[in-house]
Amino acid sequence: MKKHLLTIVAIIALLAIVALPVFAQGATEASASSASSKPVTIDLWYGAAITEAGPPPADWVGYQIIKDKLNIDLKLTALPSNESDQDVKIQAAGAANNLPDLFMVRRDAWKRLVQQGLVASVDDLYAEMPTRTAVQYDADSIAFTTINGKSYGLASPGSIIKNEGLLIRKDWLDKLGLQVPTTTDELFEVMKAFTFNDPDGNGKNDTYGFGAFIELNNYEEGLGRRFQPIYGAFGVEGTWDLNAATAGLNVRKPEMYDAMVYIKQMQDAGVIDPNWMAYKKDDFRAAWKQGKFGIMREQNAAYAATANYAPFDKNFPDGEWIVIDPPKGPTGKSSVGPYTVNYRIYAVSAKAAKEGKADAIARLLEWMSSDEGYYLLGWGVEGVNYVKDENGIPTDKGLALGFSTPNGQTVTQLRNMVFYNSDVELYARYPKYVTAVSGKTMSALDVLRDMQSRKWTPSIGCDTLPAPNADVKRFYEQGVLEFLTGKRQLTKDNWTKWVAEFDKIGGKAWEDAGIAYAKEAGLLK
Amino acid sequence: MAKKQHVIKGTAVRLTGADRSFYLLVDIFLWVMLFIIAIPMWSTITLSFRPNDFIGTNIEGMFLMPWNWSTAAYKALLGNNGFIMAFANSLKILVMGVTCSLLLTIPLAYVLSVQTLPGRKWLNILVIVPYIFNVGMIPSYLLVTNLGLIDKLVAVFLPGAVSTYNCIIMRSFFEGIPGELKESARIDGCTEIGVLVRIVLPLSKAIILTVGLFYGVSFWNDFFHAMLYLNRNELQPLPILLRNILMASGMNEYVEVNAFGEAPIAAIKAASVFMSAIPMILAYPFIQKYFTKGTLLGSVKG
Amino acid sequence: MAKSKELNNRSPLVRDIVRHRAVYALLAIPLAYYIIFKYVPIWNGQIAFRDYMALDGVLGSRWIGLENFRTFFHSFYFWELLRNTLMYSFGKIVFSLPLAILLSITIYECRRTRLRKVVQTLTYLPHFLSWVIMYGILLVLLAPGDGIVNDIVKAVGGQPVDFLTNTKAFPWIVILSDAWKEMGWSAIIFIAALMGIDMSLFEAAMVEGANAWQRVRYITLPSIAPVIVTVLLLRIGTILDAGFNQLFMLYSPAVYSVGDIIDTWVYRQGLLEFQFGLATAVGLFKGLIGMLLIFLSNRLTRKISGSSLF
Repeated sequence: MKKHLLTIVAIIALLAIVALPVFAQGATEASASSASSKPVTIDLWYGAAITEAGPPPADWVGYQIIKDKLNIDLKLTALPSNESDQDVKIQAAGAANNLPDLFMVRRDAWKRLVQQGLVASVDDLYAEMPTRTAVQYDADSIAFTTINGKSYGLASPGSIIKNEGLLIRKDWLDKLGLQVPTTTDELFEVMKAFTFNDPDGNGKNDTYGFGAFIELNNYEEGLGRRFQPIYGAFGVEGTWDLNAATAGLNVRKPEMYDAMVYIKQMQDAGVIDPNWMAYKKDDFRAAWKQGKFGIMREQNAAYAATANYAPFDKNFPDGEWIVIDPPKGPTGKSSVGPYTVNYRIYAVSAKAAKEGKADAIARLLEWMSSDEGYYLLGWGVEGVNYVKDENGIPTDKGLALGFSTPNGQTVTQLRNMVFYNSDVELYARYPKYVTAVSGKTMSALDVLRDMQSRKWTPSIGCDTLPAPNADVKRFYEQGVLEFLTGKRQLTKDNWTKWVAEFDKIGGKAWEDAGIAYAKEAGLLK
Repeated sequence: MAKKQHVIKGTAVRLTGADRSFYLLVDIFLWVMLFIIAIPMWSTITLSFRPNDFIGTNIEGMFLMPWNWSTAAYKALLGNNGFIMAFANSLKILVMGVTCSLLLTIPLAYVLSVQTLPGRKWLNILVIVPYIFNVGMIPSYLLVTNLGLIDKLVAVFLPGAVSTYNCIIMRSFFEGIPGELKESARIDGCTEIGVLVRIVLPLSKAIILTVGLFYGVSFWNDFFHAMLYLNRNELQPLPILLRNILMASGMNEYVEVNAFGEAPIAAIKAASVFMSAIPMILAYPFIQKYFTKGTLLGSVKG
Repeated sequence: MAKSKELNNRSPLVRDIVRHRAVYALLAIPLAYYIIFKYVPIWNGQIAFRDYMALDGVLGSRWIGLENFRTFFHSFYFWELLRNTLMYSFGKIVFSLPLAILLSITIYECRRTRLRKVVQTLTYLPHFLSWVIMYGILLVLLAPGDGIVNDIVKAVGGQPVDFLTNTKAFPWIVILSDAWKEMGWSAIIFIAALMGIDMSLFEAAMVEGANAWQRVRYITLPSIAPVIVTVLLLRIGTILDAGFNQLFMLYSPAVYSVGDIIDTWVYRQGLLEFQFGLATAVGLFKGLIGMLLIFLSNRLTRKISGSSLF
C-alpha cells in the first residue's frame, strides 16, 4: 500500500517541480519598443509631503498638463509614511526586479539597491535638466550619491540644516528668579529647580527639568538626537569625530564617559522626565505641550508652527519658550549637535533606464523645476490653492482650497520634489502669525534663524559613513541605556570593559571602516 | 448575589453547595475579567474623545465627562480624503477574501476529516508543512509578482486565503460529527459533496462562522500585504490609511502643517481604532447568535 | 488511515481509492492552491542557500551552502535571541492558553445572560487594537512618571516602577499584555467547541447527582480536549514565532537584552539590509525546530489522548 502512495506522491511532486521554474524567474520585462507618439508611462513612488492627507485626486490638473506637455503618463504611488515600511516596500520590489521607474529612497536602502545593480547611473541626466540642476543639485549632492565614481541618484535638498535648538521655558526661569544657564553646572541647577520648586505654580510636584526621547540615526547613536546638546558640552556630539587628528567613534573618547556620568546624575536626581526612555516622538511632543518639562531640544516647526504651537498656547497662555545657547562643559566646549546636509534621494531604476525612459524622466524633472511645474507642485493652482502677496510670496489666506487646508494639501503632495528651501519657500511655509489665546506674534522662521545662529558642529557627510551591523548597533545602544538604568554600574572600570567588548564584537572594525571611508571621501578636517 | 435562585429553562433546579460556590466563582471571574478589559478600553475610548486643550493626568482623562468630549478626532478621520474609498476597498477585500477562503478551506478540511481516506496522513502533513516552514516575505513576493498580481486586490488575500491553522481547526470540528450520520447518508445514496452539503455543513454553522470571522478579521486588519502588493492610490485599503496616520510623525520634516490640527494626535490614534474595528465589532454579536448550546447532535469527538 | 492493515495485496487499496474518488475530487482545487501558493514559495525558499541577487533571480544566484545559516548561528546574540524567543512563546502558551480556556468555560457556564454576553463581546475587542495603539495604552497605564499604575503606587507611598524599560518587569508586561489582548479572541474557538457538547450528557450527569465542578471535570473539559490539543500542537509548531509585531513595538534599547527575539533580529539584520537569503534561512531554521517539536508532541498526544494532528 505504501508503494502506491509513494508513486502518487512522486507523480504530484514531479509535476510540481516541472511547473515550478515558471514562477521562479524575475519579473518579465515590459517591452521597450513603443511608438514615440504614445505617452511614456512613468511610475513614480514619491514621499508625500503630508502622508495622512491623502494623494492628489484622480482629476488633478497636473496629470493632464504632464501628458499634454511632456507626453508622459504619470502614475503616482505614495510611499508609506514610516521609514522602515518604505525600506521594506522598496527592497521587496527590488528583490523581484520590479522597481518603479523613479522612486524616493533612503540612503541605506539605496546603497544596497546600487550594490544589487538595480539602480541606474544618472550622470547623464544632470546635463539634460539645466534648470533643475541649477536649483536642486550641486557638487555635494552629487557626492552624496556617488559610488565608485558614478552618481546613482538625484539628491534634492531635504530638511533645512540646523533646524533644531535647545529650548527653555522662559516663564519658569522668571518665576523662579533664575538666569539662563550657560554651563552644564548651571543647567543642572536649573533642571533641579524646574523639578522641585514647582515652576508652574500649580502646587503639584509634576514637572521635570529635561525632556527627551530616544531618537537614533547613524550619525547620532547612543542616546540620539535629543541629548546632543549635552554630549556637545563634553565635545562628543554625534557618532563620529571627524577631526583629522582625533578621528574615530566618539564612544571611546574619555569625555564620553564624563558625559555619561552627567546624564546618569540627571537620571539619579530625577530631573529628567522619567518617561523619556518609553516616549516615542508623539508622546514627547504631547508632553511638552502639557508643560511636563522645561528644557528640550526640538525642531523649529515642531515647536513654533501654527498647528503645533496652538495646544501649548491654549494650555499655557503665559508660557514662553526661548532658544538658548547650548551649555558649556568643563572644558568650555558646546554644541547643539552635529549637522549635515539632509538630502532626499530620487533614484532611477536600472529597469527604467533599460527601457529607455531616462530621457522622459529627465524631461519630467526638468519641467517640475520650471516655473509652471514648481508652482503647480509646490503651491497648487494660482487663485485656487494660493495667491501671491505683494512680495511675491505664495499665501493661502482666505482660500477655501488653500494649500494648507486638508483638501489643498492633497494637490501639493509632490512639493518635496521641487522645494529647495529658498527664502520665498521659507516665508510662505513659516508665515508670521498671532497665536489664538495669548496673542503672541510667532514665526517659525525667526525661530529657525535663531537656532541656526547657535553653535553647531559641522559634520557634512557624516550620514554617508558606513552603518554598523545590527549586532554592533544593538550592543552600542543597549549598553549606553543599561548604564543609565543601572543594569550596568557606571564606573570607569566597567565603562572601559564595555568599550573593549564593543570593539571585540565588531565596533573596532566598524570604526576602521568608517575612518577609511571618511579619509577617502575627504570628510576629515 | 450568591443567594439568587438559578434557573434553567424555566425549571428551578436545587443547587448543592458545591454548585453554588461554582457559579459564584464563575461570576466573580467574569466580573474580574470585565474590569480588567473595561478599564483600559475605557481609557482608550475617552482618549479618542479628548479635546486638544486637555491638561491633566491620565486618570483625570478617564473621568472626563461626555459633555466635555470632543469629536474632532472622528470628524478629522471621516473628513480624510480617501477614507470612504479605503473603507470600500477594505470591504471588497473582506467579502472576496472570506468567500474565497471558505470555498477553499471547507472542502479541504472536510477531505482531511474523512477518516477512511487512503493517504490522509500524508495529506495532513502536506497541509501542515507550509504552516511550519515560513520562508518569509521574498519567496512569496516573487510568486505574486510572477503571477502578475501586483496592484490587484486579490494579491492581498489570495496568498493567505487558506490558513492551515483555520483549516486544521475546522477539520477537528468536522471530525467531531458522528460518523454514523455521514455513513447513513452515504448508504442513502448521497455523494460526498452531498454529505458535505446536507450533513456536515448544517451541523457546522458555528465553526464555519467562527473560521469566517478569523479570516475576515485577518484580512480586515492586514496592512503588510497591502503595503507590499498595492501601489495605486485608489486600491489602498483602510489599514494602510490608518497606518499612514499612526506613523505620520515618523517624518520629522515639514511638520509645519498638521492635517489634523483640531485634535491631539493621541486622540486621532485612538479614534482610528474604533473607526476601523466597527464592522468587525458589529459582526461578532451576529455570530454569537449561532453559538447556541448543543449545536451538534452528538458530542465533539474525543 | 489504519484502515487497510490487511494483506499486502493491491486490490483493497485501489478499491479504497476508487471508493473515495469523490473525496479526492473535492481536493483538486485546494490542492492546486497549496501547490501554487504554499509550495512555490517554499521552493523559492532555496534562496536560503544562495547569495540572492535580484537580477539573477532565484535560480541564477550563486550557491553558498550554509553560509546564511552560519551568519545567524554566529550572531553575538544568537543564544540570547533563542532564549528570549522561547521564553515568550512558552510564556504565552502557559498564560494565554489556560486563560482563554478558563474564560470560555466560565462564559459557557455563566447563568447570567447579560454578564455573559457583555464579557464575551468585551473581551473580544482588544484583539482589534494594533500594537501601536497598545503601546499607547501601556504608556498610559505604566509610564514611570504619570502612568495610572504608578500614580496608585505613589499614592500608597511606593516607588514608581519603570515597567517598560526595566529588564525584570518587561517580560511580564509582554506576556500579560498579550494575554490581555488576545484571551477573548483565543477563547472564541473554545466557545465554539463548547457549543457542540451534547446537552443530554449534562442531564444524565445531573440525574447521577454530579455537581457543577464534576460536570466541568468529567464532561466539559474532556469534550473540548481535542480542540485544546489541536490548538496546542499548532502553537508548538510555530514555537519560534514569539510575536514580532508586539515586541517590535514594545522593545527599546534599554530592554534589548530581554526584548530582542529572532524575528526582530531578522527584521533588522535581514529585511532592512537586503539579506533576504538570511531571512529565509532563519525561517527554515525555525521551521525545522517547529517540525521536530510537532512530530514529537504529536506522537506524545496520540499516546496520551488519542487525538493528533496527523
